[in-house]
Amino acid sequence: MLNKLLIPARAIALGVVLSTASLPAAADSVSDAKLEEMQKKLDQSMKMIEALAARVKELEGHASSGPVAAGAAPGPDSQRLQAVEQSVAQIETANATRQSDDSGLPIHGFADVNVGNHNLYFPYAKGTNVGSLDFYLAPKLGDHVVSLAELIFETGPDGHVGTDLERFQIGYQFNDQATVWVGRFHTPYGYVNTALHHGVWLADALRRPKFINFEDKGGVMPSHTVGVWVTGAQREGNGRFLYDFYAGNGQQIQGGTLDMQTGGNAHGAAIAGTRLSYQFTGGAVDGLMVGVNGFTDKVNDDNAINPALVRLNMVGAYAVYDTDIWEHIIEAYSFHDKNLNGAPGTHRSEAWFAQFGYRASWGVPYIRYERAMLDQTDPYFNEQTFGASYYRSALGVRFDINAKSSIKFEVAHTRNTDDRPGTDYRPSDAEIGLPQQYNEILAQYAVRF
Amino acid sequence: MKDDTHKRISLRRSTVMCCAATLTLLAAWCPAEDLRSVSLGELPQSWHDDRARDLALTGLRGHRVVLTMAYAACHRICPAAMDEFKRMQRVADARGETVDFVIVGYDPKNDNPAVWHQYRLSRGLNRDNWHFLSGSQTATEQLAQQLGFPFWKYDEHVMHESRAVLFDTSGVQRTVLGSRNPRWSDAL
Repeated sequence: MLNKLLIPARAIALGVVLSTASLPAAADSVSDAKLEEMQKKLDQSMKMIEALAARVKELEGHASSGPVAAGAAPGPDSQRLQAVEQSVAQIETANATRQSDDSGLPIHGFADVNVGNHNLYFPYAKGTNVGSLDFYLAPKLGDHVVSLAELIFETGPDGHVGTDLERFQIGYQFNDQATVWVGRFHTPYGYVNTALHHGVWLADALRRPKFINFEDKGGVMPSHTVGVWVTGAQREGNGRFLYDFYAGNGQQIQGGTLDMQTGGNAHGAAIAGTRLSYQFTGGAVDGLMVGVNGFTDKVNDDNAINPALVRLNMVGAYAVYDTDIWEHIIEAYSFHDKNLNGAPGTHRSEAWFAQFGYRASWGVPYIRYERAMLDQTDPYFNEQTFGASYYRSALGVRFDINAKSSIKFEVAHTRNTDDRPGTDYRPSDAEIGLPQQYNEILAQYAVRF
Repeated sequence: MKDDTHKRISLRRSTVMCCAATLTLLAAWCPAEDLRSVSLGELPQSWHDDRARDLALTGLRGHRVVLTMAYAACHRICPAAMDEFKRMQRVADARGETVDFVIVGYDPKNDNPAVWHQYRLSRGLNRDNWHFLSGSQTATEQLAQQLGFPFWKYDEHVMHESRAVLFDTSGVQRTVLGSRNPRWSDAL
């Protein structure tokens, strides 16, 4: 403590001396009387510093005179000194923290590379593949203004690396119960789409179930929405009630892939939906979350004359059991679609998956079964390149090398159960090179930074 | 001859620039760790335990203190840290020593005293010398910075590392424990 006080005191004294020493340079304009007066002030300052130093030394001597007996109350001076010491240290750190807030934006993110007898998303490709390099930015913009961006460099279906602003949201958080986001976000349905984002390191499994994968990785559901999203949570009883309401641009199928119309769509088509969930945070079912969700979406295609394609209506339910030991996820979706182009008609399809994982100290083994029964007379599925019905069974394991890197392995069998000839909108599965059924052995090295 | 001299100078410059670039990259890649010892008294003091009672860290002086940071929804790193704490507790019990175990929440927005209380109950961490603390966002960030607990939030997830700090009976930081220490209880 004495040293802490003496160092600034010496610095002040040195500063004053140096200032005084520099005075002769302007000696013409300074009288001897003034110099004498400043000399006196300097002497007084030095005396005051010495007196303060002596006082501090005396107080510290009291404070450290022998071990303080347990429970013995320190003297009032010592207590005051300690309190001042703590305050000064905390103010110093708080200032340092405040300064670092404005010193720049930290960049964090995820990356992964994969090896397998098939590409994990595009089975017509084999060997080693670069997954994604995911930069995540969440600048602090004040107490209530929130924002996030997820910028990704990833390999697309054609094998080329592309850039995608996967998420870009700016929001206002009124309180814990309500936040409004505007921008491009992950559509709130099920559990996986909003809990396990693009950073694959985060998930225990090597990849998402095929039908709820991202649009440009073979998924057939609108995993992104560009619009407005209201979300929040309210503690109720032994858990939390969570809600989501959203509305945004209706999706469009372009070149066999679903597009979320990030720049706005030309026809005013819209998607609107909700998700309601309850998360148990105590009792026998601590870690269980259940929910229902649904949306309605006017989907267009890239037909210039009559783009309106289908009214996509989805209802679904999910359950997650997420604890220190188990991770079980079940999601189920039912689609009731209505033709908006050509012959009137409705179509019904279903898709679901169940995944069970065990969090052991050495790793996380998991097993998953997924099934999609997608009506091929429904233009929504028929026009999508990866819109075939299928089932897949998979067995995998995750090992954490350290807190920032993991290696995952998965063996899987996939069988497409639809025979899909080519259409005006897409080539046949055979022309693309999609095998009717295939076995996979996959390895993934995933990191966060 | 002149050309040779120019080439040599140019080569030397390139070598120096390469070395400088390498050193800069290395410096950026390996962030310097603040090795300065921090005492409990220098840390923020305004915390609530899982029963919503005020607790100042300086009030724990007199016992050794092991402090870590965690978040209640963590199922990967924090459970392993709790296991290490349990092992340390057994070692302390065997010696007849009281050690205070302090768990400070990374995410006060989601992890309030009620959540921590439930966390304690569901995992059977009922000892009174285990303190599950939550504070303001500012105090949390300040403590994390002072003790070297780097973290960032990915939506509802907190990205963090396995780390704990051991303080002696007078509240002065003595040891930092991390993933490089296979058994944290060896540090007691």
